[in-house]
Amino acid sequence: MARITRKNARRGLAAVGALTVGALALAGCAGGGSGSEGDGDTLKLWHYEGEDSAMAKAWNEAIKVFEEETGATVEFEQKSFEQIQKTASQVLDSDAAPDLMEFNKGNATAGFLASTGLIADISDAVDEYGWADKLAPSLQTTAKYTEDGVMGGDTWYGIPNYGEFVGVYYNEEAFAAAGLEIPTTYDEFVDVLDAFVAQGITPLAEAGAEYPLGQLWYQLALTQADRQFVNDYQLYENPVDWQGEELTYATETLQEYVDKGYIASDVSSVKAEDAGVSFINGTAPIFVSGSWWYGRFVEEAGFDWTLQAFPDTQLSLGSSGNLWVVPENAANKELAYEFIDITMRPEIQAIIGNNGGVPVAAEPADITDEKSAELIATFNGILDNDGLSFYPDWPAAGFYDVIVRELQGLVTGTQDAETTNANLGAEYEEGTADFR
Amino acid sequence: MSVITRAERGARTKLPPEQPSIPQRKGGTAGYWLYLLPGFVLLLVIVIIPLIFNVYLTFTKWRGVRTPEFIGLENWVKIFTDEDFWTSFTNSVWMVLAMVVIPTTIGLIVAALLFDVVGRKFGGKVGSFLRATYYLPQILPIAVAGIVIGWMFRPGATGSVNQILAVFGIPAYDWLGQMPSALLVLMGVLVWVQLGYPIVVFMAALQRVDPELYEAAELDGANWFQRFSAITMSIIRPEIFVVTLTCTIAALKVFGPVYIITQGGPAGATLVPAYYAYTEFFTKRNIGYGATIATVLTILVVVVSIIFIRVQNSMERKERAGL
Repeated sequence: MARITRKNARRGLAAVGALTVGALALAGCAGGGSGSEGDGDTLKLWHYEGEDSAMAKAWNEAIKVFEEETGATVEFEQKSFEQIQKTASQVLDSDAAPDLMEFNKGNATAGFLASTGLIADISDAVDEYGWADKLAPSLQTTAKYTEDGVMGGDTWYGIPNYGEFVGVYYNEEAFAAAGLEIPTTYDEFVDVLDAFVAQGITPLAEAGAEYPLGQLWYQLALTQADRQFVNDYQLYENPVDWQGEELTYATETLQEYVDKGYIASDVSSVKAEDAGVSFINGTAPIFVSGSWWYGRFVEEAGFDWTLQAFPDTQLSLGSSGNLWVVPENAANKELAYEFIDITMRPEIQAIIGNNGGVPVAAEPADITDEKSAELIATFNGILDNDGLSFYPDWPAAGFYDVIVRELQGLVTGTQDAETTNANLGAEYEEGTADFR
Repeated sequence: MSVITRAERGARTKLPPEQPSIPQRKGGTAGYWLYLLPGFVLLLVIVIIPLIFNVYLTFTKWRGVRTPEFIGLENWVKIFTDEDFWTSFTNSVWMVLAMVVIPTTIGLIVAALLFDVVGRKFGGKVGSFLRATYYLPQILPIAVAGIVIGWMFRPGATGSVNQILAVFGIPAYDWLGQMPSALLVLMGVLVWVQLGYPIVVFMAALQRVDPELYEAAELDGANWFQRFSAITMSIIRPEIFVVTLTCTIAALKVFGPVYIITQGGPAGATLVPAYYAYTEFFTKRNIGYGATIATVLTILVVVVSIIFIRVQNSMERKERAGL
């Protein structure tokens, strides 16, 4: 066994010292770094669309076109939505940032990154490539932010190349079997709900553990609201009255929906997937949810169905799709802009449109699929009415969880409508205080 | 009645050193420090520096990037009036019940039965097989177990639990969407997951027991419970302390099962401090406030650990002193 001499001890201490420095250096690597110059030959791209989704199909084609036209290589990494959502701010503050990334739009997400300077102001590229001309004004709202990160500002921080909205899916065969017509007004909608309940059917597929119930709640508020309410709620133009007409109606009506059996009494622990499946398997004939289900229903629902905007309202939940954002630390920003431009071409947009997605810049003649054309027509109808009203959880970081929690309290009978709105209002005020 | 002075008590409980002292090599202890240093370095980088940074963050408002804004005691004032925070700590009591009290109690009885009854009547292999069976949930990743439990307790007719109940004519129930069933299901899962740990530790400890002790007690007419309380409990007391301490710490900082099974719901009814801190950190980006919750949790864990260790040391001292 080697003896520990003073000399050996010194050597050992030196080694440990080196280890310390190395460990601290490693720890330091997680800190901010400045962007490095790229080689101009590789585009590092991250997105989180599923391989079978309309967007992934279009973007896979865009990658091929990009590589052929520029000679550059795309280094693609598939991420999950949660992964990017929760770690983006740390990654983008380092040298590990990609050149181009898909990111969730809204104040608490893209707006937050914009306000911290982690994603680049791409206004010059927007002018150079003329993307603004291809995007309707209400789609631009989610792509432009103020310096505080509030959407609807003057500076471009992202480009959406697809859209989404929330409407009502109707199972036409279930309606026919029940001797009912697809409703065109809100009164008819309620009559249909009553008729299904009378036949022992719970008509609405819903999920209280995830987003669907909160979206229905906000849609009910929108039936009583005007554009100013949306601007107040989403853009903080004026204080929101949480005991006011719109939100009181929404919360009380949602409670009524449960009491009258339009929604199952055990809705609070149901997840979005289960609600969607209950529509697909014919258990529930009506589902208020987003266009993101469209492709799935085309594939899996074995019956005739239709998607329409929520009856008797000009305002619908919806927005541009997620954004392409260019990190401030991106090494190859020019390549990123070239890729975005390719995704805006009509032939790539048509792939989104013909696979159940909602393109924002497609040529109508390129949409050959009849069902997709119907979806895009409904979306364009909402756009024509300036009806996109975004999502209820956007105003504040973490407000999604708050809405889920409070509406669970409402539908389980733990709290009444007034308390629910008061709790929501308190969290909204706290979460948005820095921006108002 | 004789009065024992403090000095006498000290003298009575004073014990000879438990371990022979390590002979000191001529030339000092530099060589020993060399071996300890890597551990200290890792402790510094992985625990102490982040801990200090975490405490610093409690005095700031920070969204996770750029410079934290110093706000003094604002987070600490807020935490005392935050209803969700107190709900989460109240729920910790239930977690301690599910992860410490119930599994340790059942674990003691099961371990004693496996060792004293099953082992003796059916042979060691049967005992070992049953022990492994109890330990199985500990091996399962909690994410996998949680998802399966979630499926089992789905509402309506799709959940297997409701389907089984339907056979007996019991109507479907929203187990995870109502209180107190959501908390009870969560606690049930924790008991199921946790049970194997005390059983394995206690059974290992019972290997130290001389079987003749049980036989002698049996010959003296002691029944099973008397043997359990007089022999088993007494011999495995150190292991009971270890299990209780480690499980209490685990219960205070439980996160995975809550995240997977209930996500703090319904309506925040199963919120626990670690999950609450997580949501403040990662969904609300209230890093300063999340750090405050985490710091309170750390303080609580340290205090509980110190109390446990002191009580254990005190009892061991008394035992060695024959008190």
